[in-house]
Amino acid sequence: MDNILTARNISKSFVGHQALDDVTVEVPRGKVYGLLGPNGAGKTTLIRIINHITAPDSGTVEFNGHPLTATDVRNIGYLPEERGLYKKMKVGEQALFFARLKGLSSREAEKKVKEWFERLEISGWWDKKIEELSKGMAQKVQFVITVLHRPELLIFDEPFSGFDPINAEVLKREILRLRDEGSTVIFSTHNMASVEELCDNITLINQSRNILSGSVKEIRERFSDNSYRIEFSDDPDPALQASLRLGADFSLEPDNRMGLHQATLRLPESMTRRDAIAVLNESLDLRGFERVIPSINDIFVRAVNAGGAFPPAYNNPSTDTDNE
Amino acid sequence: MNNPLYLIIRREYLERVKRKSFIITTIVMPIIMIAIMAAPALFLALGKTEKKTVTVIDYTSQIASRLQSNEEIEFVSSDAPADTLRADEDVEAILVIGNNAIDNPKTGITLMSRGTVPMMTNAYITGQLTNAIEEVRLDRYNIEGLKQIIEEAKPDVSLTTVRMDLDTDQETSSEFSYFLSLALDMILYMFILIYGQMVMTSIIEEKGNRVLEIVVSSVKPFYLMLGKITGIGLVAVTQILIWGVLLSVAGSLLLPMLTPDNLGADTASEFSGVLSQVTDPGFMLSLFAFVLIFFIGGFLFYSSIYAAIGSAVSNIQDASQLSSIATMPIIIAVIGSMAVINDPESSLAFWLSIVPFTSPMVMMARLPFGVALWETFLALGVLFASLIFMIWLCGKIYRIGIFMYGKKPTLMEIIKWARYK
Repeated sequence: MDNILTARNISKSFVGHQALDDVTVEVPRGKVYGLLGPNGAGKTTLIRIINHITAPDSGTVEFNGHPLTATDVRNIGYLPEERGLYKKMKVGEQALFFARLKGLSSREAEKKVKEWFERLEISGWWDKKIEELSKGMAQKVQFVITVLHRPELLIFDEPFSGFDPINAEVLKREILRLRDEGSTVIFSTHNMASVEELCDNITLINQSRNILSGSVKEIRERFSDNSYRIEFSDDPDPALQASLRLGADFSLEPDNRMGLHQATLRLPESMTRRDAIAVLNESLDLRGFERVIPSINDIFVRAVNAGGAFPPAYNNPSTDTDNE
Repeated sequence: MNNPLYLIIRREYLERVKRKSFIITTIVMPIIMIAIMAAPALFLALGKTEKKTVTVIDYTSQIASRLQSNEEIEFVSSDAPADTLRADEDVEAILVIGNNAIDNPKTGITLMSRGTVPMMTNAYITGQLTNAIEEVRLDRYNIEGLKQIIEEAKPDVSLTTVRMDLDTDQETSSEFSYFLSLALDMILYMFILIYGQMVMTSIIEEKGNRVLEIVVSSVKPFYLMLGKITGIGLVAVTQILIWGVLLSVAGSLLLPMLTPDNLGADTASEFSGVLSQVTDPGFMLSLFAFVLIFFIGGFLFYSSIYAAIGSAVSNIQDASQLSSIATMPIIIAVIGSMAVINDPESSLAFWLSIVPFTSPMVMMARLPFGVALWETFLALGVLFASLIFMIWLCGKIYRIGIFMYGKKPTLMEIIKWARYK
């Protein structure tokens, strides 16, 4: 596959703290790539390395097939998690300043800024100072500044924080449009709902390590474990007996709104769906039968909590406690 | 032009120069300075309005007629006894001159007044009495024209100082050099402190509102630091230039009034030394060239330290303690240069000119007196070499510091950052 960015075996440590430990990330071109992980996992450090802001202690970053250089940052647009602009500077001037820092000529910069301001309907703010804008308004300006030089690679760190649902929707639409126009998007977040909606591929970083990588579909498939959710109308007892006969794990769940009983069944590896349905049909009035595909959120929590099962090298006692 | 360094400098510069506060301080400061200098004279002038009458009771009958009144004090003779005058509320002050005052002026004269006697009044009356008694005493010798002889015998000495170590003998004025040194020193001190701290607070601000991370995703942190220091430095230079222009306009209006005629003989000869220095274009040009270079050097050196400190902390409160790393040497340098002004050729002066922490300030103090060229260049060489090292070192600290939030780092931690990759 054609990768726009490959970060290989990246390690980086600060005093008494390893931020990244041998992390490898391959970002395919033209996709939305999710970089997930709990707070403090090392996502921001990795992003800073990709942005050529800090250098890794070891490892290489390749951009478009060559080692990343300082001039490559002109092809990267970066929206940091902690956002800020020059408070005393006027919106228009500020956008022009950042556009020119990214290498646009002053005429080109002006054209692009105007274009984007019109698209997001913020042209009227040109002469306003940032300190006069609300937080959400400033975020919009910031988004424009990130994307207006048409970078090949866009990096958004928690882009939706601080946006109201309507503007978040606008943002989502613009991100997908940028992707459709050929940009690659790296998306760092712990908001799993937006990941499922937007991302094609993900990498899960926990405690400085890459613990999971792949396409969203493939990962969810990989983590699904022959579990099914069933709905039925009669007493749960026969269901329990049926599940014992199947040799499956049975866990009863609260009744749903239709007044039906619900349960999750985890079938043994050897058992097929067809057999299970047959057995269940005999014992109870089956109303629904559905495969459980774990959400990215479940996978995230499961993978992070499985920390204890991983080699002791990154088995940090402070986060190893069971918090489920 | 699309050089990022240029863009940063331009932004930093324009943002400050366009501010109202800059325009106001630039114009108002000189006015305040002049006001401060003029204030004592002004108060004096205002204080003069009240005229005081001193009633003189002269038992010698020789002195009272010789006392001369001025705008502040009027002498009025009276024959009434002292006790009667004391009872009169309208009498402000009584000067009683005893009949042996001419022979024994130390004890024979008394000034009685309501309230305390101002120093100036005291001095004026004493002066008048001294003159009067001197005249009376001279008259006693009964030599014709004695007064004139004495007057003629009084010499009027004024020292002409000439530098003989320079290529051409040149008349100098050590008073002028002294005040020029003092002024240059104060200006440099003020500018390094004000603008150095401006670099620091501006970095803390950028760090605080997180705009920094966006800038450094387009520009190397080192260039951002360099651009900020340069931009703010240019603001300082702009301010100095504006003041320079204002000063020379004011000077060209005032200077013609200061002709030797209305300065009096003493000042005139002193003034010729000043004039010969001021009007020597070679001296002034090289002086100001060196002053400017040391100024720039000093500013860059200290503001890079301020930049490193600003990058390391998260708020201004935390910065105050660390900033003493820069402030202390500046104050030491100013104290040092005060000593150096009194003896610009001492070995203390020499060594303080070599140490980069003190050299900008100390050289400001020495340059108006004239410094051997090799010494100037040695000082400059050391200053600029250490300056480059300092910028490099602070750039390394800055690069790490700007991403460090939270707890205030110790000095040792900050130094460790410089070693990070």
